[in-house]
Amino acid sequence: MSEVAIFLAHAVALEAEAAERYDELADAMEVHNNPEVAAMFRKQAHFSRLHLAEVQGTVKDVELPKLKPWEYQWQSAEGPESAPVERTHYLMTPYHCIHLALQNERRGHQYYADVAYKSQDPDVRRLATEFAAEESQHVVMLEKMAATVEEPEPDWDLDLDPPVVSD
Amino acid sequence: MNVQVPLTAQDFKSDVKPIWCPGCGDYAVLSAITKALAELDTPREKIAFISGIGCSSRIPAYTNLYGFHGVHGRALPIAAGVKLARPDLTVIVAGGDGDGLSIGGNHFLHACRRNVDMTYVIMDNEVYGMTKGQASPTTSPDWCKSKLTPEGTGISPVEPIRLALAAGANFIARGFAGNPAEVARLIVEGIAHPGFSFIQILSPCVTYRPEEREWKQAVHASETEPAQIMAEAMHRLAADDGFTTGVLFAGNRAPFMPARDVKTTIADIERKFAS
Amino acid sequence: MAAYSVSVALTGSGGAGSMTAGQILLDSASKAGFYGLMTRSMGPQIRGGEAAALVRISSTPISSLDDHYDLLIAFDWGNISRFAAELPLSTDSLILCDPAQGPVPDSIATYGARVAPLALKALSERVHGGRGNMIGLGAVAALIGLPIESVLHVLATQLGRKGEEVLAASTASVKVGAEAATLLPPMPKLPEGNPHGASRWNISGNEAAGLGALKGGIKFVAAYPITPATEVLEWLAPALEKTGGALIQAEDELASINMVIGGAFAGLPSLTATSGPGLSLMTESIGLAVASETPLVVVDVMRGGPSTGIPTKSEQSDLNIAVYGLHGDAPHLVVAPNSSTDCLAATQWSVYLAEALQSPAIVLSDQAMGQSRVIIDKPAESPYVADRLVADADIDGYQRYALTESGISPMAIPGTPGSNYVADGLEHNERGTPSSQASDHLAQLDKRARKLQNFDYGDNWADVEGDGEIAVITWGSVTGPVREALDRARAKGIKAKLISLRLILPALPERMDAALAGVNKVLVVEQSHSQQFNKFLRGHYDLPADVSVFSRPGPLPIRPGEILTRLAVWE
Repeated sequence: MSEVAIFLAHAVALEAEAAERYDELADAMEVHNNPEVAAMFRKQAHFSRLHLAEVQGTVKDVELPKLKPWEYQWQSAEGPESAPVERTHYLMTPYHCIHLALQNERRGHQYYADVAYKSQDPDVRRLATEFAAEESQHVVMLEKMAATVEEPEPDWDLDLDPPVVSD
Repeated sequence: MNVQVPLTAQDFKSDVKPIWCPGCGDYAVLSAITKALAELDTPREKIAFISGIGCSSRIPAYTNLYGFHGVHGRALPIAAGVKLARPDLTVIVAGGDGDGLSIGGNHFLHACRRNVDMTYVIMDNEVYGMTKGQASPTTSPDWCKSKLTPEGTGISPVEPIRLALAAGANFIARGFAGNPAEVARLIVEGIAHPGFSFIQILSPCVTYRPEEREWKQAVHASETEPAQIMAEAMHRLAADDGFTTGVLFAGNRAPFMPARDVKTTIADIERKFAS
Repeated sequence: MAAYSVSVALTGSGGAGSMTAGQILLDSASKAGFYGLMTRSMGPQIRGGEAAALVRISSTPISSLDDHYDLLIAFDWGNISRFAAELPLSTDSLILCDPAQGPVPDSIATYGARVAPLALKALSERVHGGRGNMIGLGAVAALIGLPIESVLHVLATQLGRKGEEVLAASTASVKVGAEAATLLPPMPKLPEGNPHGASRWNISGNEAAGLGALKGGIKFVAAYPITPATEVLEWLAPALEKTGGALIQAEDELASINMVIGGAFAGLPSLTATSGPGLSLMTESIGLAVASETPLVVVDVMRGGPSTGIPTKSEQSDLNIAVYGLHGDAPHLVVAPNSSTDCLAATQWSVYLAEALQSPAIVLSDQAMGQSRVIIDKPAESPYVADRLVADADIDGYQRYALTESGISPMAIPGTPGSNYVADGLEHNERGTPSSQASDHLAQLDKRARKLQNFDYGDNWADVEGDGEIAVITWGSVTGPVREALDRARAKGIKAKLISLRLILPALPERMDAALAGVNKVLVVEQSHSQQFNKFLRGHYDLPADVSVFSRPGPLPIRPGEILTRLAVWE
């Protein structure tokens, strides 16, 4: 299996997992009656899928290796653009959401930049550079969006009701 | 609809949305379990997913497997019943630390020693979430945020991994919800390993134990191959800090499964009552 | 039924061998063509305790003890006063005892029965390896007119394995005992027996329950030992193993009931057996079986309660927990066999009902019928076998808990592609998804009630026998003495009807109304302290105004004469 194929498998997984995670978070926000943030996560999932489609467009003539989840060589435990679950909160605001997405895109950019820098394979370097540039556009776009969203009050996570009991 | 196309993790998820708090580690465990199942060649309908009561025990409904959401603490005996009745099924059990180690503690001991071929995942958050944050058997003695034990429990927590080893579990691993890919690997290995496989997954509760977000910094991968001899595993685990992840023990005891041969008929048996 | 029978009590302690002698006596009676029944009464010691074998032999089928024992043979007096109350004697009764064991204790002497000496010890010394219990057995057989050949035949069959010497000693002892009996005062003898070949069975109620389970199609059993239910499980263990099923010993009753739920969910008809304390532990999970509509059978062999109570003795006091013990509105099946023999048919029927209705069924047996060994006509074949309504593969939008007219919904068995579901103890919608909505709760409650209420239970719901303006309503093992009392009553010209309820839950008021047509007096007979059955009847059925209750707790069995006395009041 060529290094390019392995790299592209990572690129596909990066976007696919990011999209999946955003959808999960959107679902969770819907269940927890935070429709505004749910819609934002859903939109992020949509963007991740668009990016996934772009990567797949690049890939279409390459046979990708089928890697097991634990065989991906990320720099951290999960794909760089997968939003960390523990950074979410049911009362989170658009501000938190946009900044979470921004950090994800920055990690994505960092990941590609690193690969571009470290890889010995010229094709991988070329593609990684291209993808890093793409990610930096996303970063810029999200930074612009983030600038328009006001930081919430410090008591944004104040819940006037206690948690409920279930089963 | 016998699908020949390999199934993906998404294919194992149902359309029921979890009620877990956003940020809960259990989301990642669900993701890890579905990822693991996608790596197996087992048809979906041949897997039974059993649970008890608690936040994490809601998990079967979030998959599209055959499942049983039973009563509090009794997931393991239901699972044993399923496997012993139907050896052809792959049986996975999941639940929380309270469900598995407190109310279900006796079943845990006996499931380990019975060594029926199934995989038990405890999503350990060191707290009872569904009843508003009481201390669980894995909570440290000085945690005093619960109204039930305002001074802390004052009693030593159970260490599930060491307990499992002492009771005879045949495969023992620990994972962290923040690393779902590794958890998926542990589950795949646990299912593949014959006998009773126990996997503790540190799964932070962001609502009652927000400090558990810090577990991300505390966990560290095991640097050794899994111990295969109990004495060696005991030695290692005696010094374990509770945050070592990976397969910690892989034993070789034969699983328990009664033989089933039809040797006679009921008519033959009842003939013995003729006086 | 009122035909001639003989009742013999064989008592002793410290390994005197009274149980063995009683067992051989019963087997010999069977060999000679009689029907019979043997119960046991024992002290709490694991070994060496006082024990009584209570044997009744009859030329017609019986399912009750008599009012008193015609013959009491005491191998020693040990702690006999502990169960003197269980050994009623009449002034015509005969007590056989070895003068070497001392005088008849007051607790027994007070009955005023005749006493005859039988020098068991001295006689046994005349035989090499002689045993007092075999001497006594020979004497008893001769006294009651049981052909000695039948005893010798049983000895040869049962002791042959133990070697020539043991057999020879026992045979000689029995003969010596029979000879010695010629010097004893006479007592009424059995009529001619009716040797029968293989048409009769020798079976205990617990074995019968096990066989009923097997014949009903049970393939998976989870077990935790408890007196007096253990024999059901011990009988099933090898029987299942040989017929392709499995029995698993669980760590406790919480585990056994849940293993059974797992086995049933996985597709196998499943059962467990227990007694009161175990049933208490199981109730939460029986409720789970109700909510998740998982078929299973729990055989409860009742003993004296509450708490540990009297583990070795019978009582009908688990009725309340069986009927009302589940939290929430939890309709389920409760079936009560009414004799040792009926343990077979009732358990088999329960397996069928549980599977057909996807419901837990509690079979209320008790120590008296469970641990009684009876000689009976070979039971008729029953048509009832497990037949669950299962779902097909690949049902689009499969709804496990679909609201059907009958209330029964097809159940998908794991392994069936495309019809997966999650069984749930949480209230759920038709699909099985947890729901706390009023409409889902009501619809599912209705469904679970409807499937039980609308089912056609046929004539098995009760044994209804005889006619008259008086009805005796009873259940369980007490039916035996009631039936015998009614036979005697009819002989005296008292016309009365028997209604022995087999299907306790669901209650069938229309069937009871029909059975009570023309009845204006009811006697309720049961073995509990708080009149559990009477209160159950009043909660579920319309009874005539004139109701009298004969209710007594265990451990003393209810005897036919006591019931007859209460019926005679109305004459």
